[in-house]
Amino acid sequence: MATRPLRLPFRVPELDWPLAGAAFGLIVMGLLTVYSATSMPGVHEGLWVKQLMWAIVAIGAAWLAAALPYRVYDSLSYPLYGVSLLFLALVLVMGSSAFGAKRWLDLGPLKFQPSELAKIATVLVLARRLDNPKLDLRRMRDWLPPMLFTLVPFLLVAKEPDLGTSLSFPIILIAMYFWAGMPWPQLALGLSPVVNIGMFVLTGSVWWFAIVLAAMLAWFRPRLPALIALLLLNGALGYALPHLWNGMHDYQKRRIQTFLNPGDDPYGSGYQIIQSKIAIGSGGVTGKGYLKGTQKALAFLPMRHTDFIYSVVGEELGLIGAMVVVILYALLILRGYALAHSTRNGFASLMVVGLVTALFYHIMVNMLMTIGWAPVTGLPLPLMSYGGTALIVNGIQIGLIQNVALRRHEF
Amino acid sequence: MSLSTRARHLRQGRASVLTGAVLAGFGIVTVGLIRLQVTFHDMYVDLSKENHVRLELIRAPRGSIYDRHGVLLADSAPSFSIAFRPFPAESAAVTRLTTAPGWVERVAKLIEADTTDVRRAVAQSNRTGQTSVLRRNAPFAVRAAIEETRGELPGLEVQVEPLRRYSHGALAAHLLGYAGEINEQELTERAAEGYRSGDLIGRSGIEKAYEDILRGQDGAEFVVVNAMGRRVSTLSEGPPRLPIPGHDLVLSLDLKVQSALEDAMANVDRGAAVAIDPRDGGVLGLVSRPNYDPNEFSVGLSTERWRELSEGGANPLINRAIQGVYPPGSTFKVVTMLAALHNDVARPDTRLAPCSGRYAFGGRVFGCWKHDGHGSLDFIGALINSCDVYFYQIGTRLGLPHLEEAAREFGFGARTGIDLPQEKKGLVPSPAWYDARWGAGRWRKGMMLNLAIGQGELLVTPLQLGLMIAEVAMGGRALRPHVVRSIQGVPDFAPARPPRERVGGRPEDWQAVQTALEGVVTSGTAKTAQVEGIRVAGKTGTAQNPHGRDHALFACYAPVDHPQIALAFVIENSGHGGTVAGPMASDVIARALLPDSVYALRRMRMPAVLRARPLKPDTVEVPYGD
Repeated sequence: MATRPLRLPFRVPELDWPLAGAAFGLIVMGLLTVYSATSMPGVHEGLWVKQLMWAIVAIGAAWLAAALPYRVYDSLSYPLYGVSLLFLALVLVMGSSAFGAKRWLDLGPLKFQPSELAKIATVLVLARRLDNPKLDLRRMRDWLPPMLFTLVPFLLVAKEPDLGTSLSFPIILIAMYFWAGMPWPQLALGLSPVVNIGMFVLTGSVWWFAIVLAAMLAWFRPRLPALIALLLLNGALGYALPHLWNGMHDYQKRRIQTFLNPGDDPYGSGYQIIQSKIAIGSGGVTGKGYLKGTQKALAFLPMRHTDFIYSVVGEELGLIGAMVVVILYALLILRGYALAHSTRNGFASLMVVGLVTALFYHIMVNMLMTIGWAPVTGLPLPLMSYGGTALIVNGIQIGLIQNVALRRHEF
Repeated sequence: MSLSTRARHLRQGRASVLTGAVLAGFGIVTVGLIRLQVTFHDMYVDLSKENHVRLELIRAPRGSIYDRHGVLLADSAPSFSIAFRPFPAESAAVTRLTTAPGWVERVAKLIEADTTDVRRAVAQSNRTGQTSVLRRNAPFAVRAAIEETRGELPGLEVQVEPLRRYSHGALAAHLLGYAGEINEQELTERAAEGYRSGDLIGRSGIEKAYEDILRGQDGAEFVVVNAMGRRVSTLSEGPPRLPIPGHDLVLSLDLKVQSALEDAMANVDRGAAVAIDPRDGGVLGLVSRPNYDPNEFSVGLSTERWRELSEGGANPLINRAIQGVYPPGSTFKVVTMLAALHNDVARPDTRLAPCSGRYAFGGRVFGCWKHDGHGSLDFIGALINSCDVYFYQIGTRLGLPHLEEAAREFGFGARTGIDLPQEKKGLVPSPAWYDARWGAGRWRKGMMLNLAIGQGELLVTPLQLGLMIAEVAMGGRALRPHVVRSIQGVPDFAPARPPRERVGGRPEDWQAVQTALEGVVTSGTAKTAQVEGIRVAGKTGTAQNPHGRDHALFACYAPVDHPQIALAFVIENSGHGGTVAGPMASDVIARALLPDSVYALRRMRMPAVLRARPLKPDTVEVPYGD
């Protein structure tokens, strides 16, 4: 899979060119769409100029992130992680709030979301811990610390509350466990309590998970002590969850639901999703044409240039444009995983998997939201949505991946 | 370092799994896109063309509020509101129309509302994209006018909304509180709780304290409307979500007692009164003067009216029963007496130096309210006659720490924990407080003399006063005043428990205080509070007011042998507790405890006392005590 460097009269850096091209293409498409979404008279008019500036800064950030040898990041991973936790704690204390959640840190002219940085720092720490020839993820002393390192930022971000972003931490952990070689039984059974809670929240019944657990146990046949522990743990959870839930009053449940999903109110998710579906659906195969997406309802979408930018693509450029975006993202993600596969250095390989998985998670959650198949969580579309922090952090992510591409032959 | 050998072997297979996951994920997105853009393309084109989809809110009615016998105090009734719905940004022509000069004035005139308020609401709507209510409870004529001019005034529409209705008007206004339309700041702060523009939110009293419970959950349905804004059909995307009404509250309030209190206080300019059930701490009635009609807030106050209410000199929005702090005056002698008995400083029959109308202490002369002096009294007689000189002597023997402890046990100097917002603490000075204020050791023991008779820095709320007398009535059983008794649909709700079991004091101490208090009514300063056939006990007080005439206080309970009601009155700038508040208490007790027929007879016999009298300034100023 490794691309051979071209024979040219000047030296071409050994970047992963398809990946770089896909990322650049997405940034350009994002800019064009932000231009279109903010071209109508109104408060957002002309925001594309700012986005263009952010894009240039983001490419600069990518270049910087790629320039330093990744070993530097390896050795700096703990201090970086510490600093990002500090920022997360700070945002809870003095963050500025939007829509009832504290997610932003106001630093004079700069306003940024520390959860984005925490994601990168957590990937670095996990990569450092999991890069160990003697690693055996069946042993508690090997799997527990990475889990704790993930749990802290997860809880801090969930407290903001920002459930959408916080869930990317466990997803990153699972992907990196997987890539570091955690055996399938441990992976599946160790995560069973998480799956248990998740399925209860989604389905409202413990029995769906009971079936899943039975199937997993039959398939993996764990040894007796492990079997008993798993049954006890999940049994206790299965007993406690409905009791905890039903023991609560309506208004308490309502609070929890609002906490879990701040967007879940009729004027929020339902309305936006309907408008987004109408926009995409009415675009058809060829779309209404660039700058011609005047779907009336879309103007009601307050987040058409941020979270719902993909709806604008779907409306104006149709299925063809939307598929171009899908293909560019797929290319980006697949090239990323391929790079992880071909990289010889353990830390670098794990880091790439973590970074690529974080991007993949954000892309999926946002795209599924715009087509109405996922709840509104407030996650922007990487590289395309309007927003300075997100774009710069995406730039750093791409830069770190390219960093590994430049040195893929090193040990 | 390189990956472990094992992991390297695993890599090939695992890389395939990751590739599979990526392809599956983007495959799902592709399927979703095809479904929207190919399969249902025609339907969405229709929806996007001339029709658009709108979310119509079905507002949930707020929970009702009942008194202890189930009499309705507040509920929600359907009403018509005039609302403004902003336009999509593309409808530039329409937007220009609504921002054109004269438009707001025209609308304001049409719907008979304040121009400033209309302008603000429309501006907010245009900024947030949310509908805002321009006028609540619009009469038929206004609704008809809107329908007629619909073509010329796009964006205006008539909505059906639940309107908060307080069936007894200003009755118990401060206790019930009021609900008003949510403002922009609250909207940003509480967006996560699902509030939206036009919602009612509890602003004071029970409405505020139980906001989460009273407030329901709005329902919604998607409707397809045509270009004129008329409803064409509902959308099959989802069935309507039905609104969930808020929970109903049952209060400990007794409408009969509340009405009696309201009538008694009818001619009071400023003051407060509370009635507590000493058996459980439930608030039977609560009145604060001046008052207001909470219904005014339901229909929306004009800016002008709001300024009038909140900035007027007397501020009717203040709940003086829990937010007004007053020196307790002689009512505090109850606390001093109990502390003295409990700490064995004196016995009920202890006779101290006889009262000559003056008492010299620390180089100063302290006077008794009775300038001629009371002569020789025992403790019971001293309380009955409210003799200041006797209590000065008790004060010097008792000392500040003991008195402070007793006052705190009664709940003075701290919030009682009643389920109403913004309760004040009052003030019970401690040695540390004096040290901080005057410097360590730089304050004189003369303070103690003033405190013993309820003057000095002491500050109490009328509710604390009522709580104190209720606890005396129950022989020292600690109480926690509460307003809400039960919540419909929340079976395990119970009023909060008091922080401690008892107020310190032996049974015989309480007995002596109760005997003395009954004596106050039978032969002392509160004879006006007598009710034929019912044994009443109480204590009058006069609070010094450096800004004007003194405040009259009265705390009492009845019947003495099995107490059912405890009352506290504070009447500002009226002088004498016994003369002013005594008859009020007498009437409230009679109405609360006597059978209605007997009360009616009494009312016929003694109209002068029972009809709330205008308060005339007393001719004699009484400096201290009564």
